[in-house]
Amino acid sequence: MNITKEEIIRQTNEALKKEFELSDAQLTPQANLKDDIGLDSLDAVDMVVVLEQKFHINIRQGYDLRSIVTLQNLYDFIEKIAQESAQKNQ
Amino acid sequence: MHLQAHLPKVVITGLGAVSPYGVGVGALKKGLYEGLNCIHRVEELEKLDLIKTKVAATVKEIDYSSIPRQRRRSMSRMAVYAYYAAQEALAQAGYTQAPKGLGFFMGSTLNSISVWMDVCNQCLGGHAELVKTSSFLQIMNHSPQAVVGQALKIDGPSFSGAAACATGLLNIGLAAGAIQSGLASQVLCGGTEEYHPMFSACFDIMQATSHNFNDRPELSCRPFDAERTGLVCSEGCGLLFLEREDVALARGAQILGEVVSFASNTETQNIANPSAQTMQDCMQCALEKAGLTPADIDFVNAHATATLAGDAAESAAVNQVFGPSVKVNSFKGHLGHTMGAAGALELIACLQMMQDGIVLPTKNLQTPAQDCAPLNYVRQKENFKIHTLLKNSFAIGGNNCSLIVRR
Repeated sequence: MNITKEEIIRQTNEALKKEFELSDAQLTPQANLKDDIGLDSLDAVDMVVVLEQKFHINIRQGYDLRSIVTLQNLYDFIEKIAQESAQKNQ
Repeated sequence: MHLQAHLPKVVITGLGAVSPYGVGVGALKKGLYEGLNCIHRVEELEKLDLIKTKVAATVKEIDYSSIPRQRRRSMSRMAVYAYYAAQEALAQAGYTQAPKGLGFFMGSTLNSISVWMDVCNQCLGGHAELVKTSSFLQIMNHSPQAVVGQALKIDGPSFSGAAACATGLLNIGLAAGAIQSGLASQVLCGGTEEYHPMFSACFDIMQATSHNFNDRPELSCRPFDAERTGLVCSEGCGLLFLEREDVALARGAQILGEVVSFASNTETQNIANPSAQTMQDCMQCALEKAGLTPADIDFVNAHATATLAGDAAESAAVNQVFGPSVKVNSFKGHLGHTMGAAGALELIACLQMMQDGIVLPTKNLQTPAQDCAPLNYVRQKENFKIHTLLKNSFAIGGNNCSLIVRR
């Protein structure tokens, strides 16, 4: 999967806005997914569902998602998965 | 001394409704009083060649964006109906939020068929990864009661009784009993249901649907009528706020009626065909519990769904208990069969008639059927003061309920 950082941010924000009815103002990189954006444990599972669909990745198995606290953490995580995926496909 | 004499009185102080006539008791009342039609053809049924019925009544789309997202995500359509009905009943009872310890008794015939079908289609189609967390929360048997209770912070005892067509009245009757037993002093209670074409299909397979007026949907549901062939499936939610009389009086609540007695029994001869004798026993039990005689009942609101067997049996049972002169109607000709919501929505309609001093006719009853017993079927809207009425709900599966309410 070849994708730029900017594109990851754009598509992630687009998916979260739609799924969780968020505004652009809420989606700052430093935003805490739980405390600032208001996602709870059920939302976290649904976030995985929509991001898997968005980026055509499988992240529910083999990864520790607990380290994802902020939106920036999420962007970085998806970028890492994208790079791993690109390397596998080479 | 009758059985109820030593028990605390239970009164009704709030009503909430979502029906095919719209959101609110006002919309329900307007539709019934003006005899408006809410039954229409259903596109999905057109594609099912072997299914004879092509009509149903449904609630028009509701804008539910005002429900907070984390509450709404777990709500099936029938839970959304219940959310709005619950808010209306609470408001009429005089509350801006649920009082501490409020009980919540509400059920449905089935859970959300559409959500269940989505989950099954995704999983069986090899796409379990698409199923979201809220799906299970929407298809639990007690889902509407659970999610609406959460959303409105109703923190007393909760219960979700299911008895098909008698669900609404069963939950009301058991709520009254819960108040009398001391389990709660106030309970929000009733039933909810959402329509799916599979409802129509299943009842059609059982030869119990209306199919001879598909081209004139407004005439399709005909309780007690010579040309009836069966029911018309429908949906909605009805909720009543019940409380101990002394609690209502102490807080100055407006009392809309008193739940005098509730009786329930079970048909054991046939799961789909009710017997007049069991229905008769149920009504008589309600009278005996209340210490009333048949002459004390001014009006009977029948379950009467317009099935051949059901209407014949119920009319015979009413005739046996009350004789031919008691005034009788059914609201199924207006609303169709709102299933789990029927007992509650129809009781709410009865309370409107009681309050306004009128009785409404059975819509589409043009020629009383010969197989139905002679009764004083109300044929047109008329002025009549109801003091005490009996409401029936008789379910497929054999659960019979009769409830007596007075002014």
